[in-house]
Amino acid sequence: MSAWSGRLSRNLMLPFALIVIWQAWGMTTGSPRTPVPTHVVTAALQLVASGDLLAAIAQSLGRVFAGFAIAAAIAIPLGLAMGSSRGVERNVDPLVESFRPIAAIAILPLAILWLGTGTPAAVLIVAYAAFFPMVINTVAGAKRVNPTLLRAAATMGLSRFKVIRTVVVPAALPSIGVGLRISMGVAWTAIVAAELAVGAKAGGGGSGGIGQMMFVFYAYSIELNRIVVCMIAVGIVALVLDRLLRAGLRFSMPWTAR
Amino acid sequence: MESVRNARFGTAVAYVRTMAVFIAFWWAVSVWTSNPALLPSPLAVIEAFVDLVRDLELFMHAGISLGRMLLSLALASLLAVPLGLVMGLSRTFDEVVDPVVELLRPISGIAWIPLALFIFGIGNALPVFIMTYAAFFPIVLGTVAGVRGVDRGLINAARTMGVPRRTIVTRVVLPAALPSLLVAVRLGVASSWTAVVAAELIGAPSGLGYAVEWYRELLMTPQVMSFIAMIGVLGYLSDTALRALAQRFTPWAVDALSAQ
Repeated sequence: MSAWSGRLSRNLMLPFALIVIWQAWGMTTGSPRTPVPTHVVTAALQLVASGDLLAAIAQSLGRVFAGFAIAAAIAIPLGLAMGSSRGVERNVDPLVESFRPIAAIAILPLAILWLGTGTPAAVLIVAYAAFFPMVINTVAGAKRVNPTLLRAAATMGLSRFKVIRTVVVPAALPSIGVGLRISMGVAWTAIVAAELAVGAKAGGGGSGGIGQMMFVFYAYSIELNRIVVCMIAVGIVALVLDRLLRAGLRFSMPWTAR
Repeated sequence: MESVRNARFGTAVAYVRTMAVFIAFWWAVSVWTSNPALLPSPLAVIEAFVDLVRDLELFMHAGISLGRMLLSLALASLLAVPLGLVMGLSRTFDEVVDPVVELLRPISGIAWIPLALFIFGIGNALPVFIMTYAAFFPIVLGTVAGVRGVDRGLINAARTMGVPRRTIVTRVVLPAALPSLLVAVRLGVASSWTAVVAAELIGAPSGLGYAVEWYRELLMTPQVMSFIAMIGVLGYLSDTALRALAQRFTPWAVDALSAQ
């Protein structure tokens, strides 16, 4: 019991000290704009009560899920095909490897050019960002299939499609799950970046979402406390998304639990 | 040997063939849309690329972005490696510091951009701050994991022989943790390279991200694509360089490295 409470107090020590220092520093520098913890809490309560924050998060999440679903719909079948056929891999891999080093944010200007500053551009960025971790992990998973099982299936005269469905997919699932988790994290980062940049470049006439909200607080109403609230919200959503996905994967694939 | 060479040759052929198909497809679509501002032909992009190379503009922006990345990487390593080392060695210290790391980690570097813009303004400091922040967390976590993964037997053996604690850290713990540290640095580079583009796009007067956005506003799409390609090439090259570095310094762990 005392060991546990000792650990808890050590865990809380530094965060608490930092918050106190931040508050003291903010109050002594005296600029009314300097964000301090007490003002951040007030701002958070206001933003939550008015519903603005939740609406912005919901809008960003909608884009993340849309982009994520598009990426999964392309990446998983493609990854399975690449992982189970040497020929497909050889021909498709150069494309994947050529585009993978290009950060999703880098193609944002192109996305804006093609699709404008609305939701489609943001969804495209998310899908692009989420695509690569999914494809790479699916390929790795499909390659990890026990070759004896493949040979057994071939001996029994199963069609190629059936082999993939009944042998390759179950074996690749844990790895696909890892890919989905990484992609979700990347997708959430990408949407914040995309909305921020769209907000910055569309002159405030952009399309909403948490990133856009932050940019408006920076550029138009200059409310640093509210920016901090948004940053914390971004962190919490990232954490919740990861935990939910992890729990979902553990629930649907209990044999991979680690 | 022969079969390895054949396989390599086959891969190279497949690469050329695939990219040729891709470029032909791109060219066909560009002819079909016939709007060079939206989708220029591959030839126009190559021309723009050559022009940008010739008047050194490409290298200037690339150099600026790379310089920022190296600076941030050095800063992040200077902060993160000692911190991770102590966190990995001392449980008490870990219990004190880890909550702060875990509280800040979910907040992506990119989410700091508006606040950092306000603090640093538009200039060099903003991208360096964002990149340092982005590279910091993978390096800390990788160092901690590497230190924790050191074979206890080795440490105990050194202790039995009366090796002082400091020497144990420099001669036993660090070399054993090096492979996972190098993987951590690679992850750090990848995440900071993503962040630099975002940071420069929004708040820097120079660099690759800035150049991409500048030419988009001018609707000079071939230049936009040239700079995007440069971002990819440099991202790829820095990863390859770090991989080679890992192979050079930790040849015994190369298989474990390439698996990650």
